[in-house]
Amino acid sequence: MPQRYDAVIIGGGHNGLVSAAYLARAGLRTVVLERRHVLGGAAVTEEIVPGFRFSVASYVVSLLRPEIIRDLRLPEHGLDILPLDGTFTPLPEGAGAHTGGPDYLWRVNDHGRTVRELRRWSKNDAEAYEEYGQLMVEMARFIKPILGIVPGDPTDLDPRPLLPLAGLARSFGRLTERQQAVFVQLMTMSAADFLDQWFETDPLKATMSASGIIGTYQGIRSPGTAYVLLHHYMGEIDGAFRAWGIPKGGTGGVSLSIASAARALGAEIRTEAPVARILTRGDRATGVVLEDGEEIEASAVLSSADAKVTFLDLLEPGTLDASFEQEVRRFKFRGSSGKVNIAVDRLPDFTCLPGPGEHLRGAISFSPSMDDMERAYDDAKYGRWSRKPYIDMIIPTLVDPQMAPPGKHVISCFVQYAPYKLDPSLGTWDDNREAFGDTVIDRIAEFAPNIRDIIIGRQVLTPLDIERTMGLTEGNIFQGELSLEQLFFNRPVPGYARFRTPVRDLWLSGSSTHPGGGLMGANGRLAALEVLRSRGRKVGIR
Amino acid sequence: MSTTSGYDAIVLGAGHNGLTAAAYLARAGRSVLVLERRDRVGGSVDTVELAPGVHAPAVAHTVGRLRPAIARELDLKAHGLTLIAPDVRAFAPQPDGRGIALWQDTAATQASLRAWSEVDAAAFAEFDTRVRSLARFLADLGEEAPPDVRDPGFGDALMGLRLGRAFKGLGRDGGRTILRVLAMAVADFVGESFETDPIRAVLAWRGVRHTAMGPWSAGTTKVLLDDAAGSDGGASGETVYARGGPGALADALAAAARAAGAEIRTGAEVVAVTSVDGRATGVALASGEEITARAVVAGMDPKRLLTTLVDPVAIGPSLRWRASNIRTPGKVAKVNLVLDGLPDFPAAADDQRLLRGRILVGMTGIDALERVFDTTKYGDLSDHLIVEATIPSLADPTLVAEVTEGTHVLSAHVQWVPATPRDGTWDDHREELGDAVLRTLESVAPGLTGRVQARQVLTPLDLERDYGLTGGHPLHVEPGLDSFFAWRPLLGHARYRIALDGLFLAGSGAHPGGGVTGVPGRNAARVVLDDLRRRR
Repeated sequence: MPQRYDAVIIGGGHNGLVSAAYLARAGLRTVVLERRHVLGGAAVTEEIVPGFRFSVASYVVSLLRPEIIRDLRLPEHGLDILPLDGTFTPLPEGAGAHTGGPDYLWRVNDHGRTVRELRRWSKNDAEAYEEYGQLMVEMARFIKPILGIVPGDPTDLDPRPLLPLAGLARSFGRLTERQQAVFVQLMTMSAADFLDQWFETDPLKATMSASGIIGTYQGIRSPGTAYVLLHHYMGEIDGAFRAWGIPKGGTGGVSLSIASAARALGAEIRTEAPVARILTRGDRATGVVLEDGEEIEASAVLSSADAKVTFLDLLEPGTLDASFEQEVRRFKFRGSSGKVNIAVDRLPDFTCLPGPGEHLRGAISFSPSMDDMERAYDDAKYGRWSRKPYIDMIIPTLVDPQMAPPGKHVISCFVQYAPYKLDPSLGTWDDNREAFGDTVIDRIAEFAPNIRDIIIGRQVLTPLDIERTMGLTEGNIFQGELSLEQLFFNRPVPGYARFRTPVRDLWLSGSSTHPGGGLMGANGRLAALEVLRSRGRKVGIR
Repeated sequence: MSTTSGYDAIVLGAGHNGLTAAAYLARAGRSVLVLERRDRVGGSVDTVELAPGVHAPAVAHTVGRLRPAIARELDLKAHGLTLIAPDVRAFAPQPDGRGIALWQDTAATQASLRAWSEVDAAAFAEFDTRVRSLARFLADLGEEAPPDVRDPGFGDALMGLRLGRAFKGLGRDGGRTILRVLAMAVADFVGESFETDPIRAVLAWRGVRHTAMGPWSAGTTKVLLDDAAGSDGGASGETVYARGGPGALADALAAAARAAGAEIRTGAEVVAVTSVDGRATGVALASGEEITARAVVAGMDPKRLLTTLVDPVAIGPSLRWRASNIRTPGKVAKVNLVLDGLPDFPAAADDQRLLRGRILVGMTGIDALERVFDTTKYGDLSDHLIVEATIPSLADPTLVAEVTEGTHVLSAHVQWVPATPRDGTWDDHREELGDAVLRTLESVAPGLTGRVQARQVLTPLDLERDYGLTGGHPLHVEPGLDSFFAWRPLLGHARYRIALDGLFLAGSGAHPGGGVTGVPGRNAARVVLDDLRRRR
C-alpha cells in the first residue's frame, strides 16, 4: 500500500526545500525526495579533502529573497550570511594605472575608498561611479518586484494574469525619461556596451561586466548581458538580511537551514531516494515511483529538477503532446562554467599586492581586460575551454575559518568558460578534466605564482561533472540559459511560465522557471504559492 | 549673410528617406526645400561612374525593400524608375564547387536545397511561411509611429489596439513565436529548422547584414525578419535592381518631389539647425546663408544631427549625453570592380542565371561567419571576408552600354571589417582591404582578379566622410535590440519628433530603421504634416 501525500517534491535543492517549507507551512502533508545522500543540490557543502569543507558548486548567496528568510525564520535555523567585502582585480605588468610593477584594481563596499581608488585611474570614472551607482540603485528598486511576479501569458485572452505587469508598467511610467531609457538599455544591451557609456578604465569595465556573463554562454559584448549588472544592486537594497555574501558553513548551510525550517513545519525529507518516474493517470500526475520501485502517491507533484529532466526523463514518453515536447527540446542549456576547489596550506600571494590582507577577503576577479574576457568567450564558442579563463575566486576560510583545519584555507574558483560541448577533436570532458584544472592553476599563477606550492588537494568540476553530480542538464548552473528569449513568460516554455505544466498537478519549481537561477529561492516560493492558490488558498504575494 | 525665408519644411539630406519625406510633404501642398551636402541626390542610394562610361552601385546595390505603396503613391514609374527582378534571389557558391541557390520560386529553391539535404529542402517551405507571417507583423509595426511610452494618449491607445489586432492576427502560436524569436540569435532561429551548416549560414545572412553583430548575437533574428518585412523577400530575401543603378531610384524620388513643387539644392551643406526657445526655426549653411522654416526634417543620422547640428544648450546635457552614446559601429565596407569579362564561378557551371542575384561568398557555415565577426572586436582585418556581391550589369546592360562588349561591374558588399583598424586609420589600410576582398572572391571565382580593370574601395571611414554616415554605419544606428521601435533612436524621441519642437527625424535612424524602404521618410512626413496643421 503506497504512502499518500498532499505534495511530493522531486529534488532537495534549495528551491525544492523552499517549496516544501511553504507547502508544509500551509498544512499540506509534504515529502521531499533527494537523489543524493546530501541535501542542497547545487547549494551543497561537502568535505572533498579530509578536513577541508567546500561549497562544491554554488559558492555565494545571491539575492536569497528576504521574504523567504523572514517567512521561514531561517536565522533561527542556522542561516548566517557573512560579509563578502569588495572585488580585487589583479593585473599583469604594464596594464596598470602606475608604471613599475604590476598594478591592481580594488573596489570595496566603502564607497569613498573605492572612488579614491578609481581616481588613481580616471577622474571621470571616479565621478561617473557615483552617478552610475545611484542610477543602478534606482533601477534595481524599480525592477526588483519582477522577482516576485508570476509571469502571465501575453497571448492569453484572460488579462488577469497580466495585472502584476500592469503594476510594473505604472511604476515604469513614474520613472524619468532617462531612467526609462537606461532600463531599456539594461534589458537589451551587452554589459560592455552599457558600461562603455560611463567608464573608460578597461579593467573596471572588464570586472563589472563579468557579473553579466556568469553562468551564461554569452560574452561581455553579447546583447542581453547588461541586465545582470542590476543583481548586484538588488542585493544591496534587499536590506537587513545580507543578500550577498558567504553563508556560514558554505552554501550547503543555506540548504540545511531551509531543510530544518521545512522539517520544523512538518515536511518530511528523504535522501538517497532517487525518483525514477512521475506517475500519471490520464492527464494528471498522481505521484512518483522511486528507482527501487517504491511508489509514493500525491495530489500534487512539484519537480525542482530542470525542464529537460522533468519533462523528457521523468515523464513516461508520449505523456506530452509533440509540440510541447518540441518546445522543451528547444530550451537551451549550454552549460558554460566549471569549478575548481582547492585546499591550500597557506594563502596565495599576489605579485601586485604581496602578503595577506583585506584584498583577499572579498571576491578576487581574474578579469584584467575586456579583450581577455571576450577572447575567453571566443574560445568557448568554438568548443574549447578558455585558454585564459575568467575566474571568480573566493577564500571562504578568511571569513569562516571552520571550513578548514587551523591556519589552512579552502579556495573556491568559479571558472568561465568551459563549454559543455567540447570540440570532438579534444575528446570528452573525462579526457580533459585535469588539463582544464591545470589551465586554471596556470591562470592563477600568472598573478599569484606561489599557488602551485601551496596546493594540498584540488577538485575539478567540468560541466559534465556538474551534470552528473548535481543532475543539471549540460551542467547549466541556472537550469537553462538565461538568454533574453528564455526569460519571464518564455521560461521555460511560452504559455507555461506560471509553474504549471501540461500535466495537471505536475508543477515545475526549479531554476528552469521564472525568475531563473541563482541562490534566490524565489522559484520554489512562487511555485508553492501557485500550488496553494490553485487549491483556493488565499496567499499574499509581495 | 543673407536670410531666405518662407518654407513650411526644410529637409536635410537628399537620401532616399529625405526625398521620400519631401515628396509626400510637397504633394500635400507644403513648400519644401531639400538641402544636400553632396553634388548629387541619393545619399547611399548612389550610382558611381567607376570608369568612363561604366556605371555601378556605389553603396546600396539592391532596392527591393522599397515599399510598393510608396512607389505607387509617388508614381515613381512615371518619374523614370524601372525595376528589374531576376528569378534568382541569391546564390552561394561553396569552396567545394557546389552551390546553394535561393529562387523567387519556393519549389526551385527546394530543388537546390535537396542536393544538400532532403530534410532541409522539406523544412524550407515551412520556414519561408513562418518568416513571411512574422515579417508581416513587423511590417504592420513599421507603418506606425511607435506609441509614446512616456505618457500614452488616446492616439497611442488606438495604435495599441491596431497593434493588438495585428498581434492577434498572428494567432496564439504566432504570437508566442514572435515573442520568443525576436530577441533570439539568428543562428538559433535557423538552427531550429535546418541541419546543414552552409544552408544555415546562407539563410541567417540577412540577420547580420549591415550590422556589427554576428549570427550568435541576440536580436539578429529581428534584423532578419525586418529585412523580410514589407517586401516579398520571405526567407530567400529580395533582389531587385533599379535600371541604370540605384541612383535611378533617387532620381525618380527627386523628380516626384520636384513635380510636386519641392525645391532641391545640392552642394548645400548645413552647419547648424537654428532654434529659439527650444523650437527649431531653420538652418544655417556653410555659405553663411540662413534659411527659416516651420519644420526642419533631418534625413541624416540622429547622432550627427544631435551632436553636431543642434545647439547643445537647446537640447540639454542629458539628451546630448544620450545622443553621444547612440551606437554607430560601422563594420561594413564596399568594393566596386570593373571587370573586362564575366568571371568564371565553377559552382555555377555555365548556368549564368545563377549570377544575376546576390552572390554570397564565404558563407560556408554559421561559425565561418562568426569567426570573421570575431576579428573585428579586436580591430583586426580578417584575410578572408564575407561578401555579398552582385553583377548588376548581367541583369541591366545599360550600366555598361557605352563601353566594349563583355565589360561587367561587380558590386561587393563586405562584412565584417573593424570599425577602426587597430593601428593607424583606414586611409593606411584601404588597399589591404581591397586585396582581402579579391582573395575572398578568388576562392569561388578563380581568375577574377586578373579581370579587374578598375576598383573602388569604400572603408567605414570613406562611408563616414563621403556619405555622412556617422561611424560609417549604413543603417545610421546599429539595429540592436537597444535601438528598436519605441526606443529607436532614443526612447522618448522615437516618434519622428526629436529633441526640439519643429525638428523631425526622417532617416534610417528612426523607426522602423535602415535599408532602402522609404518608410521612415513616409512616416515622418505624416507626423510633420500633422504638426504643421496643428500649428496653423
